[in-house]
Amino acid sequence: MRPTALTLLAAWPLVGFATESSVDPESGLTTWQTENHGIQVRLTQITPDQARAFYQARGFSSKAAERYASECVFMTVVRNIGDSPVEHRLADWRYVSADQPPRGIRSKDDWEALWSQLGVAEAARIAFAWAQFPTEQRFAPGDWNQGMTTYSVPRGAHFDLQFVWRTGARTFSGKLEQVRCANENP
Amino acid sequence: MKIRNRILTIALTACCLLGLPAGAQAADLPPLSHSLTVVEPRLAPELKFKDLEGRMHDLAELRGKVVLINFWATWCPPCRREMPSMERLAQVLKGEPFVALAVDVGEDAETIEAFTSQLDTTLTFPILLDTRGRSMQAWKVSGLPTTFLVDKQGRIVASAIGGREFDHPEIVQTVRELIGK
Repeated sequence: MRPTALTLLAAWPLVGFATESSVDPESGLTTWQTENHGIQVRLTQITPDQARAFYQARGFSSKAAERYASECVFMTVVRNIGDSPVEHRLADWRYVSADQPPRGIRSKDDWEALWSQLGVAEAARIAFAWAQFPTEQRFAPGDWNQGMTTYSVPRGAHFDLQFVWRTGARTFSGKLEQVRCANENP
Repeated sequence: MKIRNRILTIALTACCLLGLPAGAQAADLPPLSHSLTVVEPRLAPELKFKDLEGRMHDLAELRGKVVLINFWATWCPPCRREMPSMERLAQVLKGEPFVALAVDVGEDAETIEAFTSQLDTTLTFPILLDTRGRSMQAWKVSGLPTTFLVDKQGRIVASAIGGREFDHPEIVQTVRELIGK
């Protein structure tokens, strides 16, 4: 990460969040959630099999789907639960896993370049782009959205996700702690 | 061959839906909202696409009617959840100068029909096909679902990001007020 980004992350007040987690009894998949200062952020595990099946059903080749599924994939939900508009940019988010410096989330553009190299069809790439969590968004009160985000973390490994948002003229950051990458079989 | 393709599409769609994690399914998602964000009225961009039956729909020809435009896709869980409420809204306002349009982004008719055939509700409003996502930039849509309310003068007057319960009394009232203007 660039030093300027690290400096900015340090400058934004980290709001004291508690991370809650819950396990879906049917699937065995875990969800992590936190909320404060008008925002709710939630990550839910997606297994490699689910990621493969989803993208193969959208026209990805086995090789391309396998490349995506090799990452740690989460369904990501952000919701404005406050009274003021909230803005965020995925490029500002960082995740930290053991023995690794903070890393940014792989962007749609990076993925797009890879899919182009692998010859993924346009229709499949369109579906892919819309299935990812939006790069940046402004949520009015009551607005929310969801999409996939990916993390380069080994199966079963933990990481913290630091997310950043703006409301009015103020910028905040919060953290989801000890999020765990899904195993092949949860 | 056509039947085989259809079966394959349904199977893939089922696989796709089943393939989503529990968190992406209805039970574990945040509740659908019922808020609409009022925006400074601005002329709506062009919107002209064919529907599932091949009929062309042009927003410009709907002046004099209030139009609810919902951008969606079948793989998007909140999109699927809100779709029946959009039909209920259309039924509540039947006979009034109101049109609901669902614009599917990036999918073909077979995929959409495989989804709609699974619904308990029959959707009577047009589902338009933006197979290449051409309208997204002009409408400044960055995530699905996103919904716009267009007044009788063809101006965007309200929007919503994320799933909504479209037949909620507050939304019905907002639409009726626009119809009355």
